[in-house]
Amino acid sequence: MLAGFLVIAYSLPFAIGIYTENVFFDRQWLADLATVVLNGVMQGGVYAMFAVGLTMIFGVMRIINVAHGEMVMLGAYLSWMSFFWLGFDPLLAMVFTLPIAFGLGWMIQKFLLNAVVGGPELTPLLMTFGLGLAMIYAVEAVFTTDFKSIPYAPDSFQLTETIVVGKSRLISFVMALVISVGVFMFLKKHRIGKAIRATSQNADVAMVCGINIYGIYMVTSGISAALAVAGGVLVSIQFGFNPETGIIYTLQAFAIIVLGGRGHYIGAMIGGVMLAVMESLISFMLPNGTALVEIAAYGLMIFVLLIRPRGLMGPKTD
Amino acid sequence: MAETNEIALQVKDLKKHFGGIKAVDGCSFDLPKGKISGLIGPNGSGKTTIFNLMTGVLGADSGEVVYRGENIVNLRPYQVFNKGISRTFQITRIYREMTVFENMLSASSMRVPESEAREQAEKLMEFVTLTPLRGEYGGNLSYGQQKLLEFARALMTDPEIILLDEPAAGVNRTLLQNLLAHIHHLQEEEGKTILIIEHDMNVIMNHCEKIFVMDYGVKIAEGLPDEIQNNEYVIEAYFGHK
Ligand SMILES: Nc1ncnc2c1ncn2[C@@H]1O[C@H](COP(=O)(O)OP(=O)(O)OP(=O)(O)O)[C@@H](O)[C@H]1O
Ligand SMILES: [Mg+2]
Repeated sequence: MLAGFLVIAYSLPFAIGIYTENVFFDRQWLADLATVVLNGVMQGGVYAMFAVGLTMIFGVMRIINVAHGEMVMLGAYLSWMSFFWLGFDPLLAMVFTLPIAFGLGWMIQKFLLNAVVGGPELTPLLMTFGLGLAMIYAVEAVFTTDFKSIPYAPDSFQLTETIVVGKSRLISFVMALVISVGVFMFLKKHRIGKAIRATSQNADVAMVCGINIYGIYMVTSGISAALAVAGGVLVSIQFGFNPETGIIYTLQAFAIIVLGGRGHYIGAMIGGVMLAVMESLISFMLPNGTALVEIAAYGLMIFVLLIRPRGLMGPKTD
Repeated sequence: MAETNEIALQVKDLKKHFGGIKAVDGCSFDLPKGKISGLIGPNGSGKTTIFNLMTGVLGADSGEVVYRGENIVNLRPYQVFNKGISRTFQITRIYREMTVFENMLSASSMRVPESEAREQAEKLMEFVTLTPLRGEYGGNLSYGQQKLLEFARALMTDPEIILLDEPAAGVNRTLLQNLLAHIHHLQEEEGKTILIIEHDMNVIMNHCEKIFVMDYGVKIAEGLPDEIQNNEYVIEAYFGHK
């Protein structure tokens, strides 16, 4: 059922391609297709990394953080500031931008979300919504709504005669992979990581087993914010951004965790790659169809929800 | 252990109402140190609520729980736990998607080195005969085994006071005998203070030194097992209702 559905879903871009006469099957076309898929996978790795941050917050606290994309956007601006104001390489600057992000997430949890976690679900949702808007306007006040970009490693790697990969994209992917693996290892091996997983399994049990769940919430929010900011840094060296781009990243992160399964980390990685590959396939087949790219991507999400309400890696039924 | 009349913990005029329900309505008692005590009373008399107030699971409307000279009412559950009071639940609270061993480790203090925590977990699993099931998921255990696991987990931090909410309910006879032997071991060999909520009168009368009886959120009697058995208020609370 699921496999059949995925085959159909991923045939769709090809059907579109045949209709728009963008499918040729010659060597050059196949090489282009390989490049597109490769780019999708690499982009998906970056999306997945910050989606993991969103899924962590949901898994541990059952809070839907709609300001997550704004944290990504903030990461892009932190990256921009470290590059243009301080003259730092944005990737090296993560040595201090990520701790700043962690601290910010920690404080947001301590002073805002801890007060409403476990209560009615709407309250934290509205709170993060307000927080997201405040972040947009705060950044707008300083930087205006102009698009910014960072000229970072604009050249490409020639993988084979015909397959070319943007350097900044490859670097971003590798960084995202390293950071994701680091977070997975922390969650798996470190005692605080284990306490985070224990809390997400059952906060009531964790609380009576001596785990300071409010402390765990703060660490979780800190890590989540750091992942978002890392995501922001990695997209800032590839794409332009303005204060409103965060919304797109929130949607993407949501689509990814819906695809992968709420609170499921490996699922988020798979969901990230699936979404990005779908997006790049569609834009390859339909060069001028940005709107259709989004429709297809979110259509994919809706259909997965229909078949598997808890995502690809979640249980089959809700 | 030498006979003492020391008090491990004092409950002072505790109150907790849920809307119109006076679950605990001015309850006081002194928990004797190093002994096994029982807390009994009809269904809904407020026993579990007392445990919840003692362990920070619920906040109290008023009153105090004094432990080592400090009022611990309204602390968070993890704070109470880390002070050396651990408990089990009427409806077991274990991680269903973690193995027995992981459940055990989850209750270890972050201040204790992990190797030490592992050793302690091994020892306690052996103690409650769960070692053969160490890799089994919590959700796959029988109800009785879950109770044993919860009991063993409650001992991970070597607590001074152990509160057990209906340890015998749903546990088969062999397991129950095992459990009672462990409880006696803890009291006799390690000087632990234990308070047991239980409906099984055999357990209460044969294993507790001191018994507290609750009805409608207040303590209506306390004493030795035979005193309680012959107490008219207790008989009335259990059998004849006003
Ligand atoms: N969280 C809660 N919200 C509302 N009412 C509650 C809550 N917890 C307990 N109560 C009510 O308080 C009263 C006392 O409940 P409690 O669980 O303490 O009784 P108990 O003595 O443990 O009973 P049992 O022997 O059946 O376990 C009951 O009427 C119960 O319905
Ligand atoms: Mg009860």
